[in-house]
Amino acid sequence: MQDDSFYQIYSNAALSTKNEVYVFLSNVARLEDPLQKEAVVKQLIQREGQGSMLIAEHVVLPHIESNKVGKSQIILIRLLHSIESWDAETKDIRLIIGVLLKENEDVQIKQKIASFMRALADEEYVDRLLTIEEEADFYKQIKR
Amino acid sequence: MKIVGVAACTVGIAHTYIAQEKLENAGKKAGYEITVETQGTIGTENELTQEQIAEADIVIIAADVKIAGRERFEGKRIIEVPTDVAVKSPNKLIAKAAEVIVQPR
Repeated sequence: MQDDSFYQIYSNAALSTKNEVYVFLSNVARLEDPLQKEAVVKQLIQREGQGSMLIAEHVVLPHIESNKVGKSQIILIRLLHSIESWDAETKDIRLIIGVLLKENEDVQIKQKIASFMRALADEEYVDRLLTIEEEADFYKQIKR
Repeated sequence: MKIVGVAACTVGIAHTYIAQEKLENAGKKAGYEITVETQGTIGTENELTQEQIAEADIVIIAADVKIAGRERFEGKRIIEVPTDVAVKSPNKLIAKAAEVIVQPR
């Protein structure tokens, strides 16, 4: 795992369900109170109920803005094995990009996240994130 | 064809910006003039001017929430979709816009 605080990258994560992913995100998140992990999982589930998290083939983007989050982060998880069934419509997930936004975050940080989101509109860029083998290369790509 | 649009999602930090970028890229690729305003957690960015709206042949609203300033588009042809449609199928959405503007009102 590489960690520059804002970006966290986990490669070859052995997670096999959506719920495991959400629990993992809540475990690695920098929370205001470590006892709020369950609340974060609930918020992620609630957000998903409002619309699909799929942003490209094999890629989902769970994201919340929360007062439970102590530090805003982008958490990239490359799965060891794809999640065959994320939900009824979403299949074969290989990359998870979690965005945990602290409530009332500084505009500068929000701009940084928005800039990364705009980069995700580039299919070739997303394909590169999906196919990078080395963790260090993964890190270089998101820091470009 | 000239297109203006607005993107706005629930949290306002993810789909808003991906939808904007995808719509603008798809529109430009198809040879159209396109500007998409974002209404996200940062506030309104890339705000549409009255002139841009007046000249637009069509408005694309990609939103999961009620957008601010909808009245600006009164009398314009409007396509309204959730943000995930703009994220997943931007080229189809632009093609749909091209179809709509040739239809009689």
